[in-house]
Amino acid sequence: MPAITLVEAVNLALARALADDPSVVVLGQDVGRDGGVFRATLGLLERFGPQRVIDTPLAEQLMTGMAIGMAVEGLRPVVEMQFSGFAYVAIDQMLNHAGRMRHRSQGRLTCPMVLRTPCGAGIHPPEHHSESPEAMFAHVPGIRVVYPSSPRRAYGLLLAAIRDPDPVVFLEPTRLYRLFREEVEDDGVATPLDHCVTLREGSDITLVTWGAMVHETLQVAAALAEEGVAAEVIDVVTLRPFDLDTVLASVARTGRCVIVSEAVRAAGFASEIAAGIAEHGLLSLFAPIERVTAFDVVVPLARLEDRYMPDRDRILAAVRRCLAFG
Amino acid sequence: MTIVARFEVSYSQCLDAAGRVTGVLPAFARMPADLIPLYRWMVLARALDQRMLTLQRTGQLGTFASGVGKEAVDVGVASAMQADDVLLPTYRETGAQLVRGVSVEELLAYWGGDERGSDFAVPRRDFPVCITIASHCVHAVGVAYAMKFRHEPRVAVCMIGDGATSKGEFYEALNGAGTWKLPVLFVVTNNQWAISVPRSTQSAAATLAQKAIAAGIPGEQVDGNDLIAVRAAAERALARARAGEGPSVIEALSYRLADHTTADDATRYRDPDEVARAWQNEPLHRVREYLVASEVWRREDEEMLAHECTARIQTAVQAYLQRAKPSPAQMFDHLHARLPAAYQPQRDGAVRGE
Amino acid sequence: MKIFKLPDLGEGLQEAEIVTWHIQVGDMLRADQPMVSVETAKALVDIPAPFTGKVVRLFGQPGDIAHIGAPLVGFEGDASEADTGTVVGRVETGSATLPQAPVAPPAATAGIRATPAVRALARKLAVDLAMVTPTGADGVITAGDVERAARILAEVGPQEVLRGTRRAMAQAMTLAHAEVAGATLMDDADVHGWQPASRPMVRLIRALVAGVRAEPALNAWYDSRTVGRHVLDRIDLGVAVDTPDGLFVPVLRDAASLDPAELEARLAKLVAGTHARRVPPEELRGNTITLSNYGTIAGRYASPVVVPPTVAILGAGRMRDAVVPADGRPAVHKVIPLSLTFDHRCVTGGEAGRFLAAVIADLERPD
Repeated sequence: MPAITLVEAVNLALARALADDPSVVVLGQDVGRDGGVFRATLGLLERFGPQRVIDTPLAEQLMTGMAIGMAVEGLRPVVEMQFSGFAYVAIDQMLNHAGRMRHRSQGRLTCPMVLRTPCGAGIHPPEHHSESPEAMFAHVPGIRVVYPSSPRRAYGLLLAAIRDPDPVVFLEPTRLYRLFREEVEDDGVATPLDHCVTLREGSDITLVTWGAMVHETLQVAAALAEEGVAAEVIDVVTLRPFDLDTVLASVARTGRCVIVSEAVRAAGFASEIAAGIAEHGLLSLFAPIERVTAFDVVVPLARLEDRYMPDRDRILAAVRRCLAFG
Repeated sequence: MTIVARFEVSYSQCLDAAGRVTGVLPAFARMPADLIPLYRWMVLARALDQRMLTLQRTGQLGTFASGVGKEAVDVGVASAMQADDVLLPTYRETGAQLVRGVSVEELLAYWGGDERGSDFAVPRRDFPVCITIASHCVHAVGVAYAMKFRHEPRVAVCMIGDGATSKGEFYEALNGAGTWKLPVLFVVTNNQWAISVPRSTQSAAATLAQKAIAAGIPGEQVDGNDLIAVRAAAERALARARAGEGPSVIEALSYRLADHTTADDATRYRDPDEVARAWQNEPLHRVREYLVASEVWRREDEEMLAHECTARIQTAVQAYLQRAKPSPAQMFDHLHARLPAAYQPQRDGAVRGE
Repeated sequence: MKIFKLPDLGEGLQEAEIVTWHIQVGDMLRADQPMVSVETAKALVDIPAPFTGKVVRLFGQPGDIAHIGAPLVGFEGDASEADTGTVVGRVETGSATLPQAPVAPPAATAGIRATPAVRALARKLAVDLAMVTPTGADGVITAGDVERAARILAEVGPQEVLRGTRRAMAQAMTLAHAEVAGATLMDDADVHGWQPASRPMVRLIRALVAGVRAEPALNAWYDSRTVGRHVLDRIDLGVAVDTPDGLFVPVLRDAASLDPAELEARLAKLVAGTHARRVPPEELRGNTITLSNYGTIAGRYASPVVVPPTVAILGAGRMRDAVVPADGRPAVHKVIPLSLTFDHRCVTGGEAGRFLAAVIADLERPD
């Protein structure tokens, strides 16, 4: 079984979906001839033709709205927003229409579409290419928000997202696109949505994270193990609907929790998780819940990008504070 | 310097304000009596509109957007469509929805504030009312793409107003539809007003139809108060789309005889004389005059039709007023195909009344 | 005046008959509130208020025919104020003016600093957090602190929860300690002159009554909330009785009215009843002054506790032989040590002194 990168896993899943289901179509800017600016759609045009792998004009509202119309009429569109910084305009169509179509028509019309977009900072790009908009999408009723952190999970989750009868926003961590490889079998098996995944077991502290930060958090957990601290690492995976129960069960055992998120602090998704723990798991806590996040500032240009994002040292510092409390 | 492109926009009319024939009558209108079913729809649409206004005034319906004055556009376009075409309306296409088979009770339920009114029993593929301006233009492109993808002889019909043609999504939709030569018809009812903003402020373009040309697709103007001209233009555009010749834009010139909505007061910004003059062009009058002059319609027919409309509407109103209020569960039950476990406690709480 | 006209009720009807007004001039209406019922050829219809406003005129009486588009109700306000101020839905207009001055939040208090988990642990281990010395930073009580406290408590055995009279005593004394400004005056009564048949308890009660006669202020109830007192005419004497079940203070009602024989009999009955736990609750309440003859057990001087609302308690210690000066030469006399605690919020030192003097004077009489 070949070991492939995360973006290759996305490509594999798209190819699989297109092959298995004739109603699946892929659309976006540069997805056809160019294979996508990150090569996520490499080779798909050649295999499946221009009716199914569609290069669109430069118009995000058209792309997103079209995907809605296609989905209502029975296709399964997967629309790519080239960068999450350009996807904000799509929030209008997702929030006002995609997430509402089923409810608005009381189930008569449904909207099985996927909107996928590269997310997050760390590739030293120009402005607007480093966004973490997951909290904004997570605030929208009627849609799912999925954020894989590894090639195998990206493959399985994208298949699940495409097969889901409702809209899914599929956020891909740009920084992890090619950072490491994993063996992924092209077995067409979807990973169930709506569940957190425990990547490492531990009884001393619970670390909750998603997206590219999973990478750093796992490294921190390994370093802690050498000091005799057993950290449990949970990858949220599906931000909406959020599987609070898995996190609560872990915190019930450890009593301490640090949430690591690359997005800005205020009103970020880490706040939602902290609120859930405070509401349902308060009596388990031996220390306040810590959030390690980016600063509440505009994402800086490349020279300060590393200082803006949470890194291993900041995560470790938060963990130590949490362990030392009380 | 050479001219590399020119454009022209045509305008058509078949029946003038007084009901006199001014253009070549298309096949469906050769016999005046053939217009009677269409006229009946227009009268029903007008009667329902009036009834919905009074229901609103007596606190039995929510905010409602009256379509008084656009019956020719609604009936002309909707009657030209095939059953399995898809209509994507705004909030002012009540007449078109009626013709498409949405029931009066469903319309009342929707405007009375119950989503079940959009679960159409008959036009199962038609889109529900779109409140946000021009959003459904891009939906129509997707719908048309799916139709063409499956080689179906179906057309998506997107109806919008003059204000919507200023929106980005309108331009993006036209552009996309043209790029892929999709079977979609955009019908712009230019009723001269976007709430209080008149057409003259909305755009510097001489016509709204010419925005189609910028997208490389045909656009034409038609007298929107003329049932025959509207229907003829719609038929032509639909035939083109079905034949694979791609999208079109029809700009139907009309006038918004009522307020923007029941919560608006147009006397704040409109000249009453202008409104009075517009009433002289209204669509029902000219069709009636034509039918009467053609001796296929009498006063007794008009009275009987009025009674029928009243009775039909009254039956629906009774049923609507007796509808049970939806359960709070209705907020949850069609959120997803299956309600995720994370929201089940909220649903339970809502049903319990917390 | 804003005029609301009769709206088109549909069905091509041009008029309706006014049947019932549901409002009158001067009423303040909410939007959608039913104003009037009118009858058309077809049905009875309620017309709702088009907006929130005050009615200044009604056009027409029941039985009148109202025409569509004709004035129906006049509202207070400018005719040009027909503006609903919205384009969808209805935005309520209220006339109330709300004061919106923000309040300064109270100063933060530092209480017991412990996380919910530590608090739950303390509850589970039955540890009073107020007793725990915190070792965490910023005075935070840690789980370890709670566990340490629990271990100590385990060594000393399970806590006995006080119940019944002991519990009542704990609560009463806590209250007394918190409230009363007690001061104690001590002296001896020289009782060498007593007749052989003198009964000390009876003599003490009689002396106390004499004290109250001399200074009624010590027979009173004090209310700290209102800073007021009731000086009472009747002496309902609380008598401290020590039993194996704890301290009881049954009440000898109207002690001043009893002659010595009655006193003795009543007292005996009260004490016996107390020991037998047969004294009803009413007889344990409402004393106006208290006597504690702890001398029957041991002790000379004391600072007995005044329990609110009373303001005085007289304690008598063990009668003893003491060397006292008599006629300039040492003599051995029997003396009873006395300790009078008074609530200085309500009783002055002078009053207490005069009371005690009267008590001693009565006690030193031969009979």
